[in-house]
Amino acid sequence: MRNQLEDRLKTLIVETLALEDVDPATIESDAPLFGEGLGLDSIDALELALAIHKEFGVRTKENDERNREYYYSVASLAKFIEDKQAEASTAGSA
Amino acid sequence: MIEASQDERLGTLWRGLRWLGVLLTVSLYTVMAPFGYLLFVCLCVLWRGDAARRARRMQRFQAGAYRLMHRWLRLMHIVDFDHRRPLPGLPAGACVVIANHPTLVDITSITAAIGGGTTVVKPTIYRRRMLHPLLVGAGHVEGPGDDPLAVGRVVDEIAERLGWGMPAIVFPEGTRSPSGELHRFGRLAFEVACRAGVPLVSLTVTCEPVYLSKEVPVFRPPHPMPRLRLDVLAVDDPAGVGGDSRALRERVENRYRSWLRDLVPVRGAAYDAAAEDTECAISSKTG
Repeated sequence: MRNQLEDRLKTLIVETLALEDVDPATIESDAPLFGEGLGLDSIDALELALAIHKEFGVRTKENDERNREYYYSVASLAKFIEDKQAEASTAGSA
Repeated sequence: MIEASQDERLGTLWRGLRWLGVLLTVSLYTVMAPFGYLLFVCLCVLWRGDAARRARRMQRFQAGAYRLMHRWLRLMHIVDFDHRRPLPGLPAGACVVIANHPTLVDITSITAAIGGGTTVVKPTIYRRRMLHPLLVGAGHVEGPGDDPLAVGRVVDEIAERLGWGMPAIVFPEGTRSPSGELHRFGRLAFEVACRAGVPLVSLTVTCEPVYLSKEVPVFRPPHPMPRLRLDVLAVDDPAGVGGDSRALRERVENRYRSWLRDLVPVRGAAYDAAAEDTECAISSKTG
């Protein structure tokens, strides 16, 4: 389940940010997305946040101190999405 | 032989005098800065009301202060910069001005030359108690800091300042450039220019010999006196790349890298020539 989500995220990153020379399969799940890893910048993060909201219905709050942690890698993003979706389904069933 | 040792002694004396000049300048700055900030706080209170009008007036005041500072630096033979040197092609009013960032005084020289503009300030500096009223009053924008998503607010705030008709000054590398090189450009400046539909002006900053960089700090003034110079490399209309900030960044960053490649061999020759000129001048004075 987690692997599927990570693969979907990798494709979403490449499509949303138009990374033409990057094959989603070559993105390492634990590698940093910003700086020395995939080399994304903060505008990319903003676009990615919008795409994640559209695709998974998960909204990222601005000025959340943990955003850097959530957006660190594909694996951390996948965990963030899973946690938010679990929170939403718990709130829905309560 | 005697002449050479005399030249050497004069060179040492000259370096010592310049070092004392730096010490005097840094001491004066440390003593005077609180009074300067206090004056800006008073102006903020005095010019309450329309935020855009206050920001423009305070930026003009800030540019004046920086011009004075650069006159002093020139007088003390620390850095030679002439803010009156024209920058052909620089549009009047709203535009995004970007530059490479080799020295600590790039922002003061650019502000002095273009007469003010909004800048993006690191949150740790923006929130300093003494600086905060000045930065808010002059319409500067707090940077995104650690939260990568806070950049949305930064883009909106810069776009608002551009709407007030003022230029925005951004260093796309986000920090000082390494000597003779460039860091990878961030996309903020390009995104703002594309969203606001304003021209993007690429300025080049050169300082020969290198000084106030990460490698050459303030208390190691080089010989001869460093000459800081601003030039317009290009003015881009974002519409030329269909308003695509990625394409605009690629185009502009490649242009800067190519300029730097051409500059490096010239830089070495210019430095040698300048050093030779100064040595000749010292010799002729002593001779």
